[in-house]
Amino acid sequence: MKGAFTYLLLPHLWSSRNRAQRRERDDFTRALLFGGVAAGVFAALLYGAAWLTWQLDDYDELGDYLLRLGLSWIFMTFLAFLTFSGIVTALSTFFLSDDLRLLLTAPVAARRLFYARFTRTVAQSSWMVVVFITPVLLGIGLARCAPLGFYVTSALTIVPFAVIPVAVGTACTLLLVNVFPARRARDLLMLMGFLFAGSIVILLRMIRPEQLMHAESLPDVTGFFSTLQSPVTPLLPSFWAGELMFASLKGGRDFVHAGALWSTALALCVGLRAADERWHFSGYSRSQEAPKARFTKFHTLDALARVLPLSPVRKQLLVKDTKIFLRDVSQWSQLLLLVALMLIYLYNFRVLDLGRIPYMSGVIKNIYAFVNLGMAGFVLATVAVRFVFPAVSAEGPAFWLIRKSPISMHDFLWSKFWTGLVPVLLLTETLTIAANELLGVDPFLKIVAAVAIVFLSLALVGLATGLGARYPRFTADNPSQVAGSYGGVAFMILAVLLIIVMIVLLGWPSTTYLMFKLRRMTIPTARLIMMATSLAAAVAISIATWLHAMRSGVRALDAMSN
Amino acid sequence: MIAVHNLVKEYGTFTAVDGITLDVRPGEIHGFLGPNGAGKTTTLRMIAGLLKPTSGRVEVNGHDVTKEPELAKASLGFIPDRPFIYEKLTAGEFLRFHAGLYGLDGDGVMERVHEMLDLFELRRWENELVESFSHGMKQRLVMCAAFLHRPRAVAVDEPMVGLDPRGARLIKDVFRRMSERGVAILMSTHTLEVAQEMCQRLSIILKGKIIAQGTVDEIRTLAGGGDDHLTSVFLRLTGGSALQELDEAV
Repeated sequence: MKGAFTYLLLPHLWSSRNRAQRRERDDFTRALLFGGVAAGVFAALLYGAAWLTWQLDDYDELGDYLLRLGLSWIFMTFLAFLTFSGIVTALSTFFLSDDLRLLLTAPVAARRLFYARFTRTVAQSSWMVVVFITPVLLGIGLARCAPLGFYVTSALTIVPFAVIPVAVGTACTLLLVNVFPARRARDLLMLMGFLFAGSIVILLRMIRPEQLMHAESLPDVTGFFSTLQSPVTPLLPSFWAGELMFASLKGGRDFVHAGALWSTALALCVGLRAADERWHFSGYSRSQEAPKARFTKFHTLDALARVLPLSPVRKQLLVKDTKIFLRDVSQWSQLLLLVALMLIYLYNFRVLDLGRIPYMSGVIKNIYAFVNLGMAGFVLATVAVRFVFPAVSAEGPAFWLIRKSPISMHDFLWSKFWTGLVPVLLLTETLTIAANELLGVDPFLKIVAAVAIVFLSLALVGLATGLGARYPRFTADNPSQVAGSYGGVAFMILAVLLIIVMIVLLGWPSTTYLMFKLRRMTIPTARLIMMATSLAAAVAISIATWLHAMRSGVRALDAMSN
Repeated sequence: MIAVHNLVKEYGTFTAVDGITLDVRPGEIHGFLGPNGAGKTTTLRMIAGLLKPTSGRVEVNGHDVTKEPELAKASLGFIPDRPFIYEKLTAGEFLRFHAGLYGLDGDGVMERVHEMLDLFELRRWENELVESFSHGMKQRLVMCAAFLHRPRAVAVDEPMVGLDPRGARLIKDVFRRMSERGVAILMSTHTLEVAQEMCQRLSIILKGKIIAQGTVDEIRTLAGGGDDHLTSVFLRLTGGSALQELDEAV
């Protein structure tokens, strides 16, 4: 056992066991929250996959064809995801992980270390895919009353299917790290990854899939599906996996594609091991080098801060937070993806063809204004959980600097709040105003939506800052990890609830007003009072959420200092 | 023994270690001194097999670290300046795992683990998570791990940092006892009193180069001092004696 590579995985297993045995406060709530969310997603995916498969059943051979194509495309999507995930994970597990400092000084054979690290890389990169694909395949299997062999084949397919792209990703990392220092390679990868994801999203949107909804474009549907097939697809493991799954769904066996999957996975493992034995140490050694980093000094930012009417403490906190954000590629590069999504969002409103429903277009436009408000709220919540919620945790091991300084936790947390609020408000306000303008909604709704976003921003940014202070994770490796923590998930749930409440409270008086306006009637005083109460309630709830969350955050930070 | 021949480490155009040669004989405690950024840690990391030298050779007990890394590492105890410990393991689990890495197996392992925990006064915390340990306790745990497999050579980077006087005394005694038993110890330190008290020979490194090597007396002579304290000799050799205008700065 001690000579086997699995021995090197023991500390992680023991650590998990110890973590589970030593329960902390809130553990039960945490488990309930995560378990509930996971169960909900699992059930939704299972039902969605089953429902779609049932629908396809009605189309006989075309249904089968589409299911086969769908399986291949699901695997194709995961193939791209796993390759990129493999590159990023391998960078950490093979080169940047702290425990390598211990393992590499021990007499551990390179081959043994490779197998342990590769197993960890595959597990870390693919668990999300496995969690996602399990209910999907289960749903398809249940809908088609698939034989037991289908489920066994699923397990036997997923393993080599995950190994292949992760091995390719690891090989890319090995190459990259031997060319660039690992930390620079990580920055480069992050940037490339988000640029790639952004361009894919824009490209997919530019195909204008909504055209397929028109009856007159039916011939295009066949053309559309034929474009999904290309001469390259049969050479990809995603195609083999799709074919294998489809054959077993039909009760058959497909040894050719099973053989292709397993032999490719094994061959890649052997090849990668040889490459790792040859180049890992030189790559690791390079990753330890810390050449003088090139960075931007942001003199303009310093000059700008000097003229801002802020206290010296707030000024310095603002400058520090902004510089750190802008110098960390993994942080700001995610904004590129966000901008791409925003452009698509606005583009959707531009191409929305509501003129096709002449009598209803006015009503639908105004309903869309609230859909837009909900979407803007959701964008706001996403940006807040990713960029504002981790603000306190981002201080990391340097938080002592704040605690030992003569700054009150109140000042510190409010500084974090304002730093987060300004960009978030600008972003979502632009989004809402532009979308409503493109839609051409009623001027009254434009004003309601614009004002609502101000209060929603105050509430959600306040909630994110406050909860971020109540549930900080100073030891997290990156902000995404903080966003995915218990506090982050709790924030998202509360944020969605708040958005729903706000839409209800704003929607009812607004639609009532529009109805009366449409009928050219005067609104009765009693109704007016109820409408005003509803709007006032929305404002009060936002302000209460904002201030309560901030106060609770300050209290938590104070308690930490005492 | 630890033998380093013409060791060079370059980071791009910067040479961190520039042709170092040193030899730590069995039973010798060799002090490795130098100002911050002189190249001490880089040299030790190359000896431990964590960094690939640009050129030169490192041998630990006759095994070339590059050509026979497993054999070299198996006979070396390395204590880094920033050691890694799995925070969610208990002290006992960490040592058991460490023993396994060095191929220690069987009934004797737990006995040896307890022996080390007793020696470094950590037995009471055997079943506590490492994350609850103080810096000094972690430092002692790392020493337990490094000596678990009875290495014949030891490379240690700043062993006294974070230790209380009792802990520091303990480490000194352990090193002395090990050296009496023939273990070669290469110790990097900034605490010149420790170096003066414990080391038979010293190497002083500056800007990647060894600028003085020998016994404390030989180094004093080399620096042109009489009975000067090692601190004055060190400052004279490394050019750090020019004091700033303290009044102004304070």
